[in-house]
Amino acid sequence: MEERVIEREFGELAINMGPQHPSTHGVFRLELHLRGETVVKVTPHIGYLHRGVEKLSETLEYDMLPPIYERDDYLSPTANSLAFVLAVEKLAGIEVPRRANYLRVITAELQRLASHLVWLGTFGLDLGGSLGGGSTLFLYCFRERERIMDLMETLTGTRFHTNMNQIGGVRYDVYDGFDRDVFKTLDYLEKRISEYKEMLENNPIFLERTKDVGIVPQELAKEVGASGPVLRASGVAYDIRKNKPYSAYQEFNFQVPVGNKGDAYDRYTVRLKEMKESLSIVRQSLGGLPEGPIHSRKPVKTPSLFKTPKGEAYAAVESPRGELGVFLVSDGSSKPYRVKVRSPSFSNIAIIPHILPGHLVADAVTILGSLDPVFGDVDR
Amino acid sequence: MGTPVDENKPKLGLEALGELIRLPGANMFLTSTKKLFSWAEKSSLWPLTFGLACCAIEMMATFASRFDLDRFGVVTRASPRQSDLMIIAGTVTVKMAERIKKLYDQMPFPKWVIAAGSCAISGDHYRHIYSVVPGVDWVIPVDVYVPGCPPTPEAFMDGIIQLQKIISEGNLTPHLNIANRIERETTKPVPKKLVDLPKTGNYLMPDQLKQHAHNLKESGFDYLSYITAVDYSTTLDLVYVVRSFEKNEENIWKVSLDSSNPKVPSLAPIYKGADWYEREVYDLFGVEFIGHPNLKRILLPDDWEGHPLRKDYSMETPRLPYRPSREEYEAWKKG
Repeated sequence: MEERVIEREFGELAINMGPQHPSTHGVFRLELHLRGETVVKVTPHIGYLHRGVEKLSETLEYDMLPPIYERDDYLSPTANSLAFVLAVEKLAGIEVPRRANYLRVITAELQRLASHLVWLGTFGLDLGGSLGGGSTLFLYCFRERERIMDLMETLTGTRFHTNMNQIGGVRYDVYDGFDRDVFKTLDYLEKRISEYKEMLENNPIFLERTKDVGIVPQELAKEVGASGPVLRASGVAYDIRKNKPYSAYQEFNFQVPVGNKGDAYDRYTVRLKEMKESLSIVRQSLGGLPEGPIHSRKPVKTPSLFKTPKGEAYAAVESPRGELGVFLVSDGSSKPYRVKVRSPSFSNIAIIPHILPGHLVADAVTILGSLDPVFGDVDR
Repeated sequence: MGTPVDENKPKLGLEALGELIRLPGANMFLTSTKKLFSWAEKSSLWPLTFGLACCAIEMMATFASRFDLDRFGVVTRASPRQSDLMIIAGTVTVKMAERIKKLYDQMPFPKWVIAAGSCAISGDHYRHIYSVVPGVDWVIPVDVYVPGCPPTPEAFMDGIIQLQKIISEGNLTPHLNIANRIERETTKPVPKKLVDLPKTGNYLMPDQLKQHAHNLKESGFDYLSYITAVDYSTTLDLVYVVRSFEKNEENIWKVSLDSSNPKVPSLAPIYKGADWYEREVYDLFGVEFIGHPNLKRILLPDDWEGHPLRKDYSMETPRLPYRPSREEYEAWKKG
């Protein structure tokens, strides 16, 4: 029988993914050039949520700014305001009471848990039908996240833009029975996290779709300036909570989970292990919560009276996405002269054009999901 | 004919829509098509899966386990061509506004819009910013405004219920503008004066830059943390931060440029991450990086004029058609 080889010439197809797309996790556009189903070239487009926070900062007083920064990375608001108040405190030389530092750690870690839950839920949604009809994991994770939102609402009155941090301390003290509520939630979460682990890591489709997909080599991660779980999954054990401790992190015992390959699966395992570490940090800090005042400055009535000395300061925190830093230049007035937010998501998604070519178009969704960008954080 | 209807009994289901006439052997139901269709429309609202910012997270929470909008017949669709409700959840920027208009135009009639959160209603604290649209009703007509920053899931549910009421009353797109009432002044932008601050740190000449970066990278500083700029009165200073994990050290250096014509060699061939950071500095400060492979705007649209983070750039710069000037905005507020 005569063998016939059919050769077909495929042209290059350019498609736009986003800015309205359920799997782009916000307003993000990927210009994908495909040959068949394989991505040959990709151009990311950002800036659809550019709200000019850095320009706005130059017109507002220091005490008015932490709530504005909370809107930047809206999955972990307290990390943003914490970076800003740390920079101001560094510049102005303000001491923060120990109890306030502990409370900052508690809220930051609870929000890290909430943020990773949103990430895990939407990641499950992205991977689609492999995880029990698509939305199962999403619904589970949001069910658990509501527990944390409840804690935040009882503590501060709002669900996630908590306004917890202010310059010189925190705004809200714990109520009677807060520790009991938190411990109950943590126990519940711990059980659930193990359940997800079992559910996902025994799922062949999940493994197939994440293992060896979107490998970020260590050199690339470093050159691009990736941080957080993306950098750690590539094998660099750098965590600001450990390497340059701020607030009260030097007083707690916790591990820094590291991956070795740098694929989507490693990023998943690093985040899942981080959640367990966060549980432990909250337990330790709440167990040893010191007595004392919660802020070293009186609540502000006229923000324009607070001025910082001339100079520069940089403070960084480990947000759920990575190194979130604030570079502050002060001209000695009541408003910052220049603020630069070094956002983790910005550098993390700068990896995409380097690693996406060669993957299938379906993997674009996995890779983007595994990088966990927040577009308020990217565009600022 | 028929059995008399008890006037005090609350009408439920079909009876609320029209008249159910019970006859021996068969019943008869009388209503108008308008009522019947609006009943169907309000009970199966299909919103577009579309989130912009923080409010989208609360919207997701409202769709998810605890609050479960499926109870209202609200099921999300990923395509605008299958949906009849658009929930604007988040800040609308000038760059996004065109896309929102396009998505809205792709939705079939009848269609409704909920503006959720203070940014979508009025731009809130971002509304004086050059890139933000002060309320989505500059772009598309809005039916229901849900206040909050962000609105709680309960508020979202209330927004849906209000919309269902509007639909069942047959009032299509009434253009209620409560944004006027909740408007309040929080920021009065004051132009920042240029100052000269004491220069601290390691300053380099622009022509030393590439060699310096190359040497550092060779000696283990292979992590580029960020590149940014500060606009002083006569100079524009670039700040470069690199890090070495092995030594656990940071190296910061600065380059002072002439504000009127800032030019500097690009570091993109040395650090891959410099690509985006330099594009950001070009976009917001107008620094030209010589040798950059793709020096285009990154955050703002390609045809933008000016560089927003320069001190002489007015924060309130209008951008037509969706971002009005302050005079237009004040006139619109008064109605």
